[in-house]
Amino acid sequence: MTTSAVNLRAVWKRFGKTEAVRGIDLDVPDGSLTGFIGPNGAGKSTTIRMIMSIIYPDEGSVQVLGADAISAKDRIGYLPEERGLYRRMRVMEFLKFMATLKGMPAAGLDGRVNAWLERVQLTDASKKRCQELSKGQQQKVQFIASVIHDPELIILDEPFSGLDPVNARLINRLIRDLHEAGRTIIFSTHVMHQAEQLCDRIVLINRGEKILDASMTEIHARFDPRTVQVEPSSHNPADASRLGALPGVERAQWNPERHAAELTIARDIDPQSVMRAAIALMPIRTVELRKTTLDDVFVELVGEAMPSSEESGNG
Amino acid sequence: MADRVHASSMRRIWTIAFREFRHTVITKGFIFGALVMPVVMFAGIAAIGLLIGMQVTPVAGTLVVIDESGTVAGFTAEELTPEQVAKDMQDTLKRNSALKNWPGGDVAQQATASLPSIDVQVESVQDVTRVDELRAKVQDGSLLGLAIVPPELLNANSKDAEGNDLTYTLIVPTRSAPRLTGILEKSIAKGIVKARVQRVGTDYTSLKALLALPETSVRRMSVEGAEADENVLAKTLLPMGFMMLLWATTFASGQYLLTTTIEEKSSKVMEVLLSAVSPMELLCGKLLGYAMVSAVMLGMYGALGIAGLIAAAMGDLVSPGMLILMLVYFVMAYAFVSTMMASVGSAVNDLREAQSLVTPAMLILMLPIMLWLPISEQPNGWIATISSFIPPAIPFVMVLRVTASNEQIDTWQVVFSLVWGFAWVGVFIWGGAKIFRVGVLMQGKPPSPRELLKWIRMA
Repeated sequence: MTTSAVNLRAVWKRFGKTEAVRGIDLDVPDGSLTGFIGPNGAGKSTTIRMIMSIIYPDEGSVQVLGADAISAKDRIGYLPEERGLYRRMRVMEFLKFMATLKGMPAAGLDGRVNAWLERVQLTDASKKRCQELSKGQQQKVQFIASVIHDPELIILDEPFSGLDPVNARLINRLIRDLHEAGRTIIFSTHVMHQAEQLCDRIVLINRGEKILDASMTEIHARFDPRTVQVEPSSHNPADASRLGALPGVERAQWNPERHAAELTIARDIDPQSVMRAAIALMPIRTVELRKTTLDDVFVELVGEAMPSSEESGNG
Repeated sequence: MADRVHASSMRRIWTIAFREFRHTVITKGFIFGALVMPVVMFAGIAAIGLLIGMQVTPVAGTLVVIDESGTVAGFTAEELTPEQVAKDMQDTLKRNSALKNWPGGDVAQQATASLPSIDVQVESVQDVTRVDELRAKVQDGSLLGLAIVPPELLNANSKDAEGNDLTYTLIVPTRSAPRLTGILEKSIAKGIVKARVQRVGTDYTSLKALLALPETSVRRMSVEGAEADENVLAKTLLPMGFMMLLWATTFASGQYLLTTTIEEKSSKVMEVLLSAVSPMELLCGKLLGYAMVSAVMLGMYGALGIAGLIAAAMGDLVSPGMLILMLVYFVMAYAFVSTMMASVGSAVNDLREAQSLVTPAMLILMLPIMLWLPISEQPNGWIATISSFIPPAIPFVMVLRVTASNEQIDTWQVVFSLVWGFAWVGVFIWGGAKIFRVGVLMQGKPPSPRELLKWIRMA
C-alpha cells in the first residue's frame, strides 16, 4: 500500500476577503515526483507554505511525513520561490548554518558541503561571500541549502526560474537523481513542459481549488489527442483554409514555424478519418496526430489565461 | 517525543542566536563602532585640547589706560601679572560646586596650566587729548589695547544722567583673541574697583575679605541619622551615566536587530529561514543573539565606567546592590527595546518606513533623558514616581532613581516597578511575537499602527 508523504484534508486559507486556498484535499505519494501547476495566484505557493508550516490553514489538517508539519521540518527540504542568501556570509558558512538549523551534526559537515559544491560545479565558491556569486551560482547554493540535510521530502518552488539552459539542465539532473534515490519531490511551476518532462504526477490548482490530481499516464489516457498536424508539400499557408473545410474539423490554424496546419478535431469525430481525408485532399509531406501536452490539458481545464512563456510569478 | 522537539527547538534558537552574535560582534563595523569609535572620540577631544594649548601664543605688549586720576593703571597692572590671572581663574572654577570632586584631579589646576605666558606693561595716560594718537597705535598693532576710563566711573555711584550704569571703553586690535580681551577686561574692571575703594579711603584687601562668600559644606542626613557629604556628581551625573549606559547598550543592539530583520526580509532570506525554524524560534534566536551583543557592550562600557570611578576614588558611589538592580533593569530595558525593534523590523521594508512606526515609542523612551535633572535631583518626587511606572520607560527612569544616592527609594516602589515592568515585558513580547509572525511574510505597503493591532488580534 502506498503511503502519503503529504496529506491535506479540507484545507482553507484566507487573507482578508481573499480565499487563497479553498478546501483542498491532497495526497502526495511517498517517492513520487509531483508537479504543482497552475496559473499565477492560483494558490500553489500558499499551499506549499502551509505544508512547510510557514503559515497555518484557517481550516482543515496538514500532515507531513506522518507527523504535524512543525515536527517534520528537519526532514523537509524547501527551495522557496523568493530565494535569498545572507549576502555577507561565505558560501561554506551559509550552507553549514542551514544544515545545522536542519539538525545536521557539525562533524563531517565540511565534507558534505564540499561534495555538494562539487556536484553543482561550484568548488571554487566555498570561501566566497554569497554577494560575490552570479545569480545562477547563488541559485545553485540555494538549491544545495534545501537538500544539504538529505531530506525525505523536497519541495521546490519554481526551481528553474532565472536559470540559464546549462544550469537548468544541471538542476534537472539533480532533481532526477534525488527522485531515483527515493526522495519524494514536490515541484511547483507554471511552465508546463518542465512539469511534463520531470513529473510522474500532476496536481493542477486554479483559484485555490484542486482541479486535477493524476499521474501522467492517467492524464494522457484521460485527455484524448484532438489535434492533427498536416504539413502540405506546397508549404502554402492558404492550404490551411482548405484543410479547415474538411468534415469534423472545428478549426484550422497555420503554424509558420512548422510550415504546417494544425487542425482541431470535434470531440465525436475519429481523428483517423480526418487524417485520411487530408491525404486525399492534397499532396502531403507529413501528417500526425499530436500527443496531448500538459499545455493542452491546462488550457482545456483552466482556459486561455495561462501564460505560455517562462515568466515567473506567484502561485 | 516532547523532549526531543524541545531540544531541537533550543538547538535552532541557539544556532540563530550564535550566528547573529558572531556576525554582529566579530565584524569591522562593530569593532569600529563600539570599540574604536569611542577611543577615537576621546583621543580627538584630547587632541583638540592639545592643539588649543599649542595655539596659545604668549601675551606680551603694552596696555594704555587713559584715566584722569592716574590710579587705575597701577591697580590694573597688579591684576595682569601671570600669578594673579592664574589665581583668578582658579578662584572662579573653585566656586563652581559641580566641579568639586570631579574625577581626574583638580580641574582649576589643569585649566590654569593651559594659560598663555603673560608679560603686559600697563601705561597710565592722564591727557585725554592723546586718544586719537593712541588709537592709531592700537590700529597698527603696537599696543595690546587702549582703555578709556571716564572720571565719573570712579565715583561710588557711577551713573549717567539717565541713571544708566557708566561704562569704560576698551579698544583692541581686530586680531586680538577673545580670551586675551577677556583677561584685559576683567583686570581693568578690577583695577577700576580698587581705584574706587582707594578713593573712599578703605583698604581693598580687608574689604574683599569681608565681602568674600564663605564656602559651604553640605551634609545630607538620612532618616536613619547617617550623615554624608553632598556630592553633586553622585546626585546628578552618576544617575545620568548609568541611564545613558542602559540607553546606549540596549538601543545599539536594538538598532542592529531592526536593520538585520529588515535586511533578511529585503534579501528574501526570511522564507529560507522559516523553512527551517518557526517564526517564534527565529524571534527568540534573534533576541537572544542581540542580548549577548548588548551584554558585551554593557560589560565593556560598564567596566570602563566603574574603573574610572575607582581611579577617581569614587568607587564607593556604586554598591553591589545597585549593580544587581542595574542588571535586572538592563534585562527589562533590553526586552522592551528589542521586542519593539524586532516587530517593527518584521513589519516594514526599509529603515525609512521603520522610522514612522518607532517614533511614538521613542518619544516615551526619551522621557528619562528629558526628565533627567528633576528625577535625579528628587528621586522621590512626583515626576520621578509617576514616570517610573510608564512602560517602556520604566527601567530607564528606575535606574535614574536608584542610582541617585541622595535619597533612598522605597523598597515597595522598586519591587512594584519590577513586577509591573516585567508584566509589561510579557505584553510586549506577546504582541511583538504576533506582529513578527505576520510581518516577516508581508511585503508591500507598510502597516499603519491600526493594522499592527489587527495583526496582533489575527495572529
